[in-house]
Amino acid sequence: MKRLAGLLALLLFVFPSLVWAMSVAFINPGKSDEAYWLTATKAMEAAAKDLDIRFEVFYAERQHPRVFELARQIVARPVADRPDYVVITNDYATGPELLRLFDAAGIKTFLAYSGISEPVERAVTGQPREHFKGWLGSLEPRAQEAGYLTAKALIQQGRRAQAQAADGRLHFLAISGDRSTPASNRRGEGMRRAVAEAGDVVLEQEIFSGWNRAKAVEQSEWLFQRYPLARLVWAGNDQMAFGAMQVWEKRGGKPGKDAWFSAVNASPEAMAALKSGRLAALAGGHFICGAWALVMLYDYDHGRDFAEAEGVEVNQSMFTLFSQKDADRFMVRFGQLHFDQVNFRRFSKALNPKLKRYDFNFRQLLD
Amino acid sequence: MSASLFRPIATTLIRSVFLWATLCALAIGSIQAAYSYIHVQDRFELAVREIGQTNVPLLSVSIWDIEPEAIRRQLEVIAARPEIGYVSLTVTTGQTFSAGDKGLTNDRPRHFDIPPPGRPVGVIGNLEIFENPAAFYRELIYTLGVASLGYGVLTLLICTLIAYLLKRDLERPLRRVAQFASELTPNRLTIPLELARSPGHGRDEIDLVVEGFSVLQSGINSHIANLDEQVAQRTAELESALAAIHRLSTIDPLTGCFNRRLFNERIQEELDRAIRYQRALAVIFCDIDHFKRINDTCGHLLGDQVLQEAAECFRRELRGHIDWVARYGGEEFVIVLPETSLPAAIATAERLRLALTESMATLLPGLTVTASFGVTQHVPGETVQELLQRADNLLYAAKAAGRNQTLPRL
Repeated sequence: MKRLAGLLALLLFVFPSLVWAMSVAFINPGKSDEAYWLTATKAMEAAAKDLDIRFEVFYAERQHPRVFELARQIVARPVADRPDYVVITNDYATGPELLRLFDAAGIKTFLAYSGISEPVERAVTGQPREHFKGWLGSLEPRAQEAGYLTAKALIQQGRRAQAQAADGRLHFLAISGDRSTPASNRRGEGMRRAVAEAGDVVLEQEIFSGWNRAKAVEQSEWLFQRYPLARLVWAGNDQMAFGAMQVWEKRGGKPGKDAWFSAVNASPEAMAALKSGRLAALAGGHFICGAWALVMLYDYDHGRDFAEAEGVEVNQSMFTLFSQKDADRFMVRFGQLHFDQVNFRRFSKALNPKLKRYDFNFRQLLD
Repeated sequence: MSASLFRPIATTLIRSVFLWATLCALAIGSIQAAYSYIHVQDRFELAVREIGQTNVPLLSVSIWDIEPEAIRRQLEVIAARPEIGYVSLTVTTGQTFSAGDKGLTNDRPRHFDIPPPGRPVGVIGNLEIFENPAAFYRELIYTLGVASLGYGVLTLLICTLIAYLLKRDLERPLRRVAQFASELTPNRLTIPLELARSPGHGRDEIDLVVEGFSVLQSGINSHIANLDEQVAQRTAELESALAAIHRLSTIDPLTGCFNRRLFNERIQEELDRAIRYQRALAVIFCDIDHFKRINDTCGHLLGDQVLQEAAECFRRELRGHIDWVARYGGEEFVIVLPETSLPAAIATAERLRLALTESMATLLPGLTVTASFGVTQHVPGETVQELLQRADNLLYAAKAAGRNQTLPRL
């Protein structure tokens, strides 16, 4: 027994990272060449590097049944090769089934980007650590903020530019993502709250373009014909905003001059559009959610369970409304998707015992 | 003879049943066809209208939500319906969609205005549906085909059933009856007609025919039995008549003796028997003496009495069943004595002569009636005529010798 303990101590000394490093896998619902989800992965990789986490990522390439395939592949691995934690999302309501799959295999899971919100899903999952013991918790950006911030800025822009129609009201179109992703609905909620607060805005119609630029192009053509008075176009992400802008330009308009568009997502293309003035408002930064999830898992793994101070289902403000200056700064710092300059260890409670609450807003990475 | 060609009754019936059933089926089928045409037309129109109406809300949502892909899919689904040839949708914002066969647009389309979802006012699109006439005719043909097939099969089944029942319940029993009737001969008259009918059938006309046959047979039978009885009766009558005739022809009515005719037959038989058995046979000729004188003086009535008394006397004195007497002529008798030799015969003749005289004396007091006898025995090789001639000669000699005597003497 003594010799065995000695050998173990020696191994720990020689390969500390190998033995102690926690391992995390991330099932990314997006495409590997899609700006938003690639950025999310890059931020997570940087955080993993800072925190000595062995990290691997799997892309479902936006085909949501594929997430189950990836999950089964992970579960099918030998126990030694399995990751300690799997970070998953609830895009297209795939969360409950993923939780069930991993829990049955005894792998711990953490929901990031989108959590459980629908009552139907809640009936299946219950609360974290209850029905599915290995489901540790979730971290979600406050998606309403994205919708609210962009819609409010867009309306202010419309007022400034006096884009009111003959009836004295601002005619407003909304292009949302889809009907089944909670994050999409929340952004819509935020948008509607801003419209309701404004009072002089008519929300003509909200359509769903599936986060897809081509579909947004197709639908915008109808929409602009249907509502010739509309001058403000809100979009749930950057790609759909670009699609609508493309149609507007094709019809002879000039985005930022005779119609105003807002978008969500801190993509380089969106930053450039914001800088050039084609985009009137842009919010983003929530891609960082995955990196924050790694911080929380790190703390959990090192004895500082986030459940104590934050609860198991964490809803944090992450979105930032970018100004044109912010855009410049973002491009300089993260334009090449290098997040190495961020020291993620700074945000860990385990490494900073004085830290009582998490602050996950993206703005602190810009300022 | 072609008119009387044999044609089974079942075949004739089946033919007419089949003909009429087919005619009825055709008549009903025609009515059905007319009805089907109207019905299918109504149904078709209803189906097209329904397709339009059920798709309007879906299309309304798809147009409102600007889902061109969904609109295209929905139109494909509509056009895939067999009733629909071509479908086109024009959105008020200018976009047009279509699906189906463009060649089917000559017909007048059905228009459906598409309102925005949840709002009954306003129009966001216009749906035009063109029918597919081929589908209409296909359905019509199908409906008619099913009905015709149904009628055809039903008719065929009914006819087959009738044919079977006719054969079983009519043709076979009738053939059996016909065969029975053709084979009916006097010696088979008592065999009853039996038909192998299916069990459990009620009493019917065939049974009446069978019963009729039974009545006919028993009638003929009793008639034949009656005939036999009549024949037996007539035969008996004839026999008694014949017996009477025979008696009349062989018996002398006055004396009750055999007449000369019977004597001629029997004497030959007696002679033959005597020769065959080598027995003696004796013959006595007898003649009443002076009978003509008795007749003339005492009257014919008395003469007849004399003859009757003589015959009676002979019968009394002779051996019954062996000896026999015949009246040979007016007052002449011949007595045949089988198994008798001449001396016994002469003795017999003497006894007869004495008995005759005595019985005549009691019958006719005061009048003496006598008779003369000639006796002879048959001699071998002698004929009846020779025998009789000799006896007659002896009688003549007795007469000549003074009458009331027997010759030869003992």
